[in-house]
Amino acid sequence: MGNVGNVWAVVAIALVAVATFSLGYRGSRHASTTQDFLVARRTVRSRRNAAAVSGEYLSAASFLGVAGLVLKDGVDALWYPIGFTAGYLALMLFVAAPLRRSGAYTLPDFVEARLSSRPLRRVSTAFVLVIGVLYLVPQMQGAGLTLGMVLHTPGWVGALLVAVIVVVNVFGGGMRAITVVQAFQYWLKLFAISTPVFVMCAVFIGSGGTHGGESRGLAEPLPPTFSAPTSIDVTTPVTLRVVEPVWLSAEGRVDGGSARGPVFWGPGTHEVDADTKLMFPGGAPVPSVAGTPSTNAEWLTPTGGGTSDLWTTYSLIFALFLGTMGLPHVLVRFYTNRDGKSARRTTLHVLLLLGLFYLFPMIMGLLSRLYVPELLVTGKTDAAVLALPGKFLSGTLGEILGAVTAAGAFAAFLSTSSGLLVSVAGVLSTDILKGRVRDFRYAAALAGAVPVVIAVFVRPNDISMSIGMTFAVAASTFCPVLVLGIWWRKLTPAGAGVGMTTGGLCVLGALVATTVSGYTGNWAPWYLQQPALITVPIAFFTMILVSKATQRSVPADVNRFRLRMHAPDPLGFIRDRDVARFGTAEERARLAEGRHRR
Amino acid sequence: MTTTEQKPDWEEVQASPDFVLLRRRLRRFVFPMAGLFLVWYLLYVLLADYAPGFMSTRLFGNINIGLVFGLLQFVSTFVITMLYVRHANKNLDPVAEKIRNEVESRGEEK
Repeated sequence: MGNVGNVWAVVAIALVAVATFSLGYRGSRHASTTQDFLVARRTVRSRRNAAAVSGEYLSAASFLGVAGLVLKDGVDALWYPIGFTAGYLALMLFVAAPLRRSGAYTLPDFVEARLSSRPLRRVSTAFVLVIGVLYLVPQMQGAGLTLGMVLHTPGWVGALLVAVIVVVNVFGGGMRAITVVQAFQYWLKLFAISTPVFVMCAVFIGSGGTHGGESRGLAEPLPPTFSAPTSIDVTTPVTLRVVEPVWLSAEGRVDGGSARGPVFWGPGTHEVDADTKLMFPGGAPVPSVAGTPSTNAEWLTPTGGGTSDLWTTYSLIFALFLGTMGLPHVLVRFYTNRDGKSARRTTLHVLLLLGLFYLFPMIMGLLSRLYVPELLVTGKTDAAVLALPGKFLSGTLGEILGAVTAAGAFAAFLSTSSGLLVSVAGVLSTDILKGRVRDFRYAAALAGAVPVVIAVFVRPNDISMSIGMTFAVAASTFCPVLVLGIWWRKLTPAGAGVGMTTGGLCVLGALVATTVSGYTGNWAPWYLQQPALITVPIAFFTMILVSKATQRSVPADVNRFRLRMHAPDPLGFIRDRDVARFGTAEERARLAEGRHRR
Repeated sequence: MTTTEQKPDWEEVQASPDFVLLRRRLRRFVFPMAGLFLVWYLLYVLLADYAPGFMSTRLFGNINIGLVFGLLQFVSTFVITMLYVRHANKNLDPVAEKIRNEVESRGEEK
């Protein structure tokens, strides 16, 4: 598998890191006040902001995960990119403009301003931290995987490297610097994933669409085949499903007995233990991890699996659709828009940019079914994008293309992690520490360290699946608060608090249950894999019911706040809260007597 | 930015026909659209699970109806977004602008 050009890839990754650093540094020379750090003075233009939003949003899950899931699950994996994109639609329809007008900086800010409750602010701070950390962990694991493929280092090296680069960069300039970096990284990622696809498509069509005459059409009702003799190291125990009988040779433990030499596998399932080496001859049918489509025809059509598949898919869509609006790093980006109108324009651009990007991982996934089917055996399909170019084209061209994708993947981890870190550190520093620039830096260091530790000790899952769970947390906590807070007059602090906690704890419970069951024999029921379809309605209903029961505590100035959210932007009587919060001493003094709240 | 003397009557603005109109126009667009969208998703998932034969109908080459349907979801997301932006610019912003002018002129009178 170590086919990714080592030297080229190291150079490319180093270039990405240097570019990130220097852009960050250039931007940070102008950054001095806390306001600069947190929302880039709200003067970022909508087109650049859209590139920045997309750059930040296209994480490891999009860059590596989508292609991996297409390789494994086929058409069903389309849901991830569709859901990732559609989340912005929900964000725009329900919250973008009102939220921008509310003048709040972070989610806890919004919650406090709308409901005038300090304890509630704490609750939402806690959930911002949970979501941030949950989202950072797969980024770090993806970085470990990428660096592992390039340099054969253990997983923690990549995780640590990304964390260090990001923390140092955030130290330097905070959000303003990051806006430039994010916009740059969108274009970098698009380049890194589209160039290999264009080159490979050109070669693919040029060679008549076959690869050495060995590969099978993608629509045949048979499994894919190895295009050349392939040896695979199995590092974690795996159950494989075989459709067509196959001869292979194995070293290690297979089907509960030790094996050394030729093995015959008939149709059915076969167990392979850790530290086993499997060698397949060229042209042999590829067995795949049990529970995924094994034949190409099955892979190419959407699932026909009845209720549980219906549930999982729709629940995932639900989580992605409603969860995007609750992601702290996405929301904080929208605060950098000048007004509600430019927030809408930004969304439109974001959708275009995302749709354009997602075409390429999907094509990558299709091609990897033909050229790197060995990933189906180990189940490590997240490596598809990284392994494909080297397999497809031998020689220097393949190595360079491999290096380009590795660099793009690195850009993905860097940008998403930077964004998350800025928002998590922002919340940590203003809510738990004292909100000085120094505190922001401590907070950033802390927020970078925790996910690294988790990433190293928890067994990696499919990147996109872990991300799906994070979206479920966001959809079950902040989505109801935002939607009801903006659209329903009668929301009370108690209702919001109880609803958020209930929804959040339900998802976290499901997450813990599935993680534990992953180590202890997969006992968790299928609906816990993606619980959003239950937990989101639970959160909404709890919030509504408790609010109805506590109607007397509806905040007094709800009307003023609602007018502010739904009326036009630069109302003369509406000041940005941020000046009161973070402005200079004289600005604050000037405003002190005119304050309506707090 | 002067603030202390401007205290528009919030209740009054809330109840003004313009504000009610603004909110109704917004709600009438946002909620049906979101519902429509979720149903459109559900349709795909339902077809995939209960009419796999239909979804795997070949159109040309390796392209089947399921795949086209999936790609259409992207297109529809974008179309709805464009519709919303147009709706907001045409029907929402003018009303909002009007409320703003009224509120501000009232503030000056006081």
